[in-house]
Amino acid sequence: MAEIRFEKVCKFFDKARIIEDLDLTIQDGKFTVLVGASGCGKTTLLRMIAGIGPATSGHIYMDGRDITDTAPAKRDIAMVFQNYAIYPTMTVRENIEFGLKNKKVPKAEREALIKEYAAVVGLTDYLDRKPGTLSGGQRQRIALARAMVKKPAVFLMDEPLSNLDAKLRVQMRSELIELHNKLKTTFVYVTHDQVEAMSMADVIVLMDKGRIMQEASPEVIYNDPNNVFTAQFIGTPPMNIIDMPDGNKLGFRPERIALSYAPVQGDFTRKGTVLTREMLGSETLYKIDCSGNTYMAKIDDPNFAMGENVYVHVANEHLYFFDAEGQRIREKGNETLFAQLLKTAGGMSNV
Amino acid sequence: MSDLTLNTKPARRLTRKSVANNLFSWALVLPAILFLAVFTFYPLVNLIQLSLYRGNITNPYKTFRGIENYIDILVKRPQFMTTLKNTALYVVMYVPICLSLSLIFSVWLQKARKMNNFAQTCFFAPHLVATISSAFMWSWIFSPESSGIANGLIRLFGFNTHNWLGSSATAMVCVMIMNTWASIGHHALIFLSALKSIPGEVYEAAELDSSSSIKTFFKITLPMLSPQIFLMLITMTTNSFKIFESVRQMTGGGPGISTKTVCMFIYDNAFETNNTLGLAGAASIVLTIILMLITLLDFKGLEKKVHYQ
Ligand SMILES: Nc1ncnc2c1ncn2[C@@H]1O[C@H](COP(=O)(O)OP(=O)(O)O)[C@@H](O)[C@H]1O
Ligand SMILES: [Mg+2]
Repeated sequence: MAEIRFEKVCKFFDKARIIEDLDLTIQDGKFTVLVGASGCGKTTLLRMIAGIGPATSGHIYMDGRDITDTAPAKRDIAMVFQNYAIYPTMTVRENIEFGLKNKKVPKAEREALIKEYAAVVGLTDYLDRKPGTLSGGQRQRIALARAMVKKPAVFLMDEPLSNLDAKLRVQMRSELIELHNKLKTTFVYVTHDQVEAMSMADVIVLMDKGRIMQEASPEVIYNDPNNVFTAQFIGTPPMNIIDMPDGNKLGFRPERIALSYAPVQGDFTRKGTVLTREMLGSETLYKIDCSGNTYMAKIDDPNFAMGENVYVHVANEHLYFFDAEGQRIREKGNETLFAQLLKTAGGMSNV
Repeated sequence: MSDLTLNTKPARRLTRKSVANNLFSWALVLPAILFLAVFTFYPLVNLIQLSLYRGNITNPYKTFRGIENYIDILVKRPQFMTTLKNTALYVVMYVPICLSLSLIFSVWLQKARKMNNFAQTCFFAPHLVATISSAFMWSWIFSPESSGIANGLIRLFGFNTHNWLGSSATAMVCVMIMNTWASIGHHALIFLSALKSIPGEVYEAAELDSSSSIKTFFKITLPMLSPQIFLMLITMTTNSFKIFESVRQMTGGGPGISTKTVCMFIYDNAFETNNTLGLAGAASIVLTIILMLITLLDFKGLEKKVHYQ
């Protein structure tokens, strides 16, 4: 178990400034998910924790101990690499055993551990096979077993499920959650998939271009985003954002829209036309054109048809406001401004 | 399993199209087969024939001797066995030393350093120099006079000058040093390209697995290079068994015949002494058989250990 703390950490590749002045605390024993678009610096961050891609400046602490310049082997950390990085010339057993042997774990104990973790990842029947003869999903599970068997204080995973098929991915997802509940060690999990982040995380760290946009629980990230980026990254489809006459921005989630044939009075209500309709199963996705603005709406009722005239209604409590830079304007501390914004939004209604 | 399923299928009839396909395939391999027949199989048969006669270049088939030539070189005249022993000794020294040095050198080159491109060029350059020129150069380096670099160096450290190429203890070692120098860059380059195909993450994973750099080398790098090592082992062994130019230039087989190699024996009997062409032929056949056996043993003994991707 360990807490990881970044303090003013920068990472440059030659002239490219990938991460600048990053401060972040990864809590002990939590399942932390780093999520962000491809190329935003997630792997770079993970590699700094592991010690295989040292920070350009700043400090990294593990339980208060400065590990900025500590060798990877001395960090009590295990990592699952994005492209597996298993040892191709070793059998599955040798792959899992390699780290244990290097740490001089006695043979009997090694055997027991290999047996235990091969069973966890479902590779018991493949222990004497070479990785080259196994599928992508099986190779990924070798990498997982190899990391788990070391019982590290911090468990780093770089998109470990991205190469699995959808079914296995969902299965491994819940197995990882279970594993975390059992081990209670610090997990740092990287993904570009917000659904994966939402479903697995205790804490989500949302990144964009090397900066942290928000760090919070999935509930808070979803319900109380700090900025337009977070609001639009999390949730499918993303939050509807429209410009207000005063230069600020108004946002509301597709799930919070109510559609009706008759106008609803009060709050935010606009007249529109259904452009497209996508039946998703329990819910239906509509694209609605309201005189120039298009909104996405996700509602239970599948009975609106394309081309129909409808009214879009969002209650005041589901409206979010952001300033021109995209930062959230919250009611608390800004009561007068907030009331003004609500009034402006109401004024945008056209019924 | 697959044999069974194949057998249960009805025999496929040759359609006109597949006959045409077949002809086309044969047409494609025909030039290669013809080439082999004319330039490999025919000369080999010729060589066997040659080894059964007494004669010289102008009149190879003077008298038929049967296997007398073989009995001569293998039993009656000790010179061939001595040259075979000399050559084997050279191979046993040269192959492991040159192979491990090229490996070490390629690992060293692998690290991204500024000077490495330069070093790579420097080490590869000798490969471009004709063996005869290299041998000439190294004869001068190992010159018995104190003007030779080798003697100059050891005098610097207070030792007496040594007749490097004129002493049976060091002559073969000098030839080996020359040939190692000439080929190390070439071999290292082959290893280097294989090393560069190993993903960096594998090494990082090993680092996280607390693997020491020596252990990483023997457990990860070396197995990954096994196809190249295997190939190199075979080509180096067979090539160095055929060593000729460099020894001939540097030592002339001396002192005495202490550095005379099999190929020098063949050359001398074919071109220098009269009516011994049959002996040269027999020696060639024996050498060929030895090389075939070694290659076969290499494959039998080592191929299982080679990791193919
Ligand atoms: N070794 C490297 N040299 C130069 N640039 C790099 C290197 N590694 C990563 N980068 C750059 O850093 C940025 C972040 O990369 P990465 O951390 O791998 O992103 P992510 O894992 O979030 O997809 C990318 O723009 C990438 O091009
Ligand atoms: Mg990545």
